Amino acid sequence: MFISMKWLARHVDLTGITPEQLADDLTLSTCEVEGIERFAPHMSDVVVGHVLEREQHPDADKLGICRVDVGGDEPLQIVCGAPNVAGGQRVAVATIGTVLPGDFKIKKSKIRGVESRGMICSVRELDLGDEHDGIWVLPEVSEGPLTVGQPVAAALGMEDWVIEVDNKSLTHRPDLWGHRGIARELAAIYERELLPLDLELPKLGDGEPVQVRVEDPACSRYLGLAIDGASNGASPDWLRQLLLAVGQRPIDLLVDLSNFVMLDLGQPNHAFDRDQLAADGIVVRKARSGERMTTLDGEERELVESDLLITSGGAPVALAGVMGGEGSKVGDDTGRLLLECATFDATTVRRTSARLAHRTDSSARFEKTLDATLPAAAAAHFARLLQGLQPEVSFPCALADAGDWADPARSIHLRGDVVRRDLGVELDDAAIASILSRLGLTPTEASGGFDVAIPSARALKDLTMERDLVEEVGRIHRYGSVPEAPLVGAIEPPPFDRRRQMVRAVEDRLAGAARFHQVLSYSFTPDDLLERTGCASGDFVRADNPVAPDMARIRREVLPSLLGLVESARRERDVVRLFELGKGYRPEEAGEDGMPREVHQLAMVLALPPAASDASFDAGAFFQLRAAVDDVISAAGVTPPAWAAAETAHPAAHPVKQVAGSWSAELEGCGFVASIEPGVARALGLEGELASDVAVAVLDLGALLAALPSPPTYRPLPKFPMVKVDVACVAPSEMPAADLGAMIEKAGKGAVRDLQLFDVFRGEALGEGKKSLAYHVVLQSDTKTLTDKDAQKFLGRLERSLEQQGAALRR
Amino acid sequence: MAARCLISIPNRPDFPRRCPGGNAVTDTTTILADTRARITAAPDVEALRAIEREVVGKDGIVASLLKSIPGLPPEERKGAGQSANQLKQAVLAAIEEREASLGSAALDAERRADGFDGTLPPPRVERGTLHPVTQVTRELEDLFTSMGYMVLDGPEVELDDYNFEKLNIPADHPARDTQDTFYCSSPGSRASLLLRTHTSPVQVRAMERLEPPFRAIVPGKVFRQETTDASHEHTFHQMEGLVIDRNVSVGHLIGAMKTLLRGIFKKEIEVRLRPGYFPFVEPGFELDARCPFCTDGCSVCKRTTWIELLPCGLVHPNVLKAGGLDPEEWGGFAFGLGLSRLVMLRYGIDDVRHLLGGDLRFLDQF
Ligand SMILES: [Zn+2]
Repeated sequence: MFISMKWLARHVDLTGITPEQLADDLTLSTCEVEGIERFAPHMSDVVVGHVLEREQHPDADKLGICRVDVGGDEPLQIVCGAPNVAGGQRVAVATIGTVLPGDFKIKKSKIRGVESRGMICSVRELDLGDEHDGIWVLPEVSEGPLTVGQPVAAALGMEDWVIEVDNKSLTHRPDLWGHRGIARELAAIYERELLPLDLELPKLGDGEPVQVRVEDPACSRYLGLAIDGASNGASPDWLRQLLLAVGQRPIDLLVDLSNFVMLDLGQPNHAFDRDQLAADGIVVRKARSGERMTTLDGEERELVESDLLITSGGAPVALAGVMGGEGSKVGDDTGRLLLECATFDATTVRRTSARLAHRTDSSARFEKTLDATLPAAAAAHFARLLQGLQPEVSFPCALADAGDWADPARSIHLRGDVVRRDLGVELDDAAIASILSRLGLTPTEASGGFDVAIPSARALKDLTMERDLVEEVGRIHRYGSVPEAPLVGAIEPPPFDRRRQMVRAVEDRLAGAARFHQVLSYSFTPDDLLERTGCASGDFVRADNPVAPDMARIRREVLPSLLGLVESARRERDVVRLFELGKGYRPEEAGEDGMPREVHQLAMVLALPPAASDASFDAGAFFQLRAAVDDVISAAGVTPPAWAAAETAHPAAHPVKQVAGSWSAELEGCGFVASIEPGVARALGLEGELASDVAVAVLDLGALLAALPSPPTYRPLPKFPMVKVDVACVAPSEMPAADLGAMIEKAGKGAVRDLQLFDVFRGEALGEGKKSLAYHVVLQSDTKTLTDKDAQKFLGRLERSLEQQGAALRR
Repeated sequence: MAARCLISIPNRPDFPRRCPGGNAVTDTTTILADTRARITAAPDVEALRAIEREVVGKDGIVASLLKSIPGLPPEERKGAGQSANQLKQAVLAAIEEREASLGSAALDAERRADGFDGTLPPPRVERGTLHPVTQVTRELEDLFTSMGYMVLDGPEVELDDYNFEKLNIPADHPARDTQDTFYCSSPGSRASLLLRTHTSPVQVRAMERLEPPFRAIVPGKVFRQETTDASHEHTFHQMEGLVIDRNVSVGHLIGAMKTLLRGIFKKEIEVRLRPGYFPFVEPGFELDARCPFCTDGCSVCKRTTWIELLPCGLVHPNVLKAGGLDPEEWGGFAFGLGLSRLVMLRYGIDDVRHLLGGDLRFLDQF
């Protein structure tokens, strides 16, 4: 919102206060000032000129040659095409070298053979309005003709500063959406008087009042003031300039006054041409479905049942609080008008303006919730201003005043001790009372503090409790004068947080020894990515208003986010290792409160160039990732689970090349490690040059937390030597290595200290459907030195158990 | 002559077949000279070992000489034994000498290191990285936990109740407009769901769960429905802070914030509080910090020398009530740190979208 310093000065004396200081003080006490700018800076660059005479250009009918005195040694010759230029006028002259809006630099020129040394400006050329049918004839001021040669801004008293305030910092202060509200703050800050403003209605006639019927509670008050005998036209310069300063285009007097009142007091209002309204007056009601109206911007708008309408003769004449209608707007010949000052429900106005994507100065104010006493002040203000300009206007009848409203003014008890406690300052009661009074809040001493009278304008949502008044005192006293204080009280280390410790351990291990890059991704997963990764099924939480239509789904799991990165990452490098610790949401497992279950997952992706045909059995991405997964689970302080092929694989997982981990039948599975589903790999573009050996893993952090912790412990170093035995087992192809490993462990009767698979072999020599797995086995006892005989016994036991399972020991 | 040939000589072409004539002493002299010549010419340690075997080995020349002694006339026996031993000692000494010289030549060659260029590029070290948001979050977590704050977590898909209602932002509150909320639907749920617009919902969740007094921070992801560009994202990271205690004042808040900024910027930072409106605190502030990057204006502070760093305030009595606490007894302050923004400031990142974009070229830099 823009605030004009000159406008403010109508309400409070700002003598001696620079715009910079004012901006700083507002920022520190009231609201955030985003910038200050000189109003119409080019008005200081053009000078007052006196047109001495105009003669016809010899070669062009429409051009005149003017001699203009701009205070120099001799008059300037300026060629000018405006029809309204005439000798004797005071005009705005841009001399050679002046730069006008639009970076238009004035140069010496020849127009149809006649030299021209400057330009006589129109209103539009100075960015002061839309009129361009002639030059701007400067007005007379009361002191007589304007002094020739001085800057126009100074001559007309147009020097002004514009302060831009961040609207967000005014969200809770509807009273600051007008200059008088800001002026009240400044009066409090600078301890100056807020100048009185006459807000009494002029004398009203005793004619029949306009009929107003309010049929919907979304309008709590509707006030209609009938005015006769107005003559519309251009506004006086002071009014135009103030409006221009705050970024409003002057239109005509009646519209300008309406805007002025809104920008002065914060109360939107609307002037209807009363002749265009039906004789039965005004009805305020909700729109009917299918109803349409043309708003004064010429747009035909379809209405919905939540829109609040001002109607007359059954037809809409205004969209309440948002915009007037085309048919009843005031025009050049409007003499009889009805001024609407009303209070509309914030949510209703917000909904309508949001639906139409059309926010207006009016809707922005109603959205802040305005109090119902304000329309009376606004109506009086408008009437007084108009009467001041056109004493002949009359007010033929009593105010129409309909609706069901109450004055929100209230009293709040404030304790001085609470102010001192909450702010942490020593401020006596007298100082507190002084600040409150300056803000227009009236304190009366009462039991240990004050009863503070809150005026209507601030009583609605702004000041409702004691703490609100503490803030009022604090901000005017200034927070900069609050002494810094240390927090006191026992500091204890926060309770141990295993989840956090686990998260850190996992992150550290993966980003450290395992050399993975940590990714943080969006919680939205694009539909297309879900389709390509095969993860689109299942219920999703969805955003009702997503950033893009295909980005509505909130992820159920983390893995697709990572898979979406593999293709571009593989373009960058051969080996891609990514992980993310994040959350997914499962609607089908909602809690009693209706919230979807939140799963906390670790997802990992490892992508390598395709393995060479002679690579060792454990060289591929799958086994590398399995190793990393076991390692990270250990790092998390948990014993790695047993891995076994799952009956149903994750949709992005290879149906065969996959294992799921679990610790026991009672505990939930911890997740899976898998090669990528070949179709998914292709859908992700991992083919041709980018063909990759990709493995993925997902671990559920909740399951890790539920698993038995296995804190690292010391194991005494062996006292007896070890015996190394190599064994080769021939087994049916489908027998899992895990089963063979278990058999070896069992045959060792607790003496197997280490077991390492070093070769996997399939070949004709073994026979159809057979494989050979060769292990280095380390046997060691805590109680004795093992001998060859012990090793032979071990091999015998192993051989027997292998044979029972249809396998054999290769001797 | 053949009968005088007392020693057997290995049948090797490079070993001159000769039958030492005269007495044994003369014979060993010839052998020694011959062997010495071969030792000097030996190219490597292996050749030396071969010579050593031939001469002093189990079946070598010296052994043969010694074996032949019993067959000699008694007066020659002593001399023959001595010369055999002398031969052995002399050969071993020569071998040792030659071996040492061969060794030092190898060392010399190693030391010469012909063709070495230390400026050739080394192999790349592949490493993993922690996300910069994680790194800054950890730093702050460590700072706060050292001051007795707990680290809490909260749901990203949140109830309207916790994100708004219980934070003193009822349905018709204009502040809802400025929050650009993603409202959500979840199949089968009638709850009013949304993606949390701030980490503040955890304030009330913490009050409900914990016994006061307590101090907590809540790092996490938050969401705003807005158009993205280099400085706007619909998803970013925040860190909420909450202190609940008796008699907490604005002065305490200022003290805590200064400590926090010292921790972040590793130097004393001047701050100022100005009114800021957030419905869940009262009074509410924007805390500006004196720009740590300049003294007289720069692009980071938009030439003002102040940077808007964090919103904060005393916890609103209505929020305390929503969390089940009596505002007459308990008070507190809360603050919200823009983690994403802090990360961008820290590393000079010019586009916020890099943070969640997952580009390896970005991630690899941290
Ligand atoms: Zn700076």
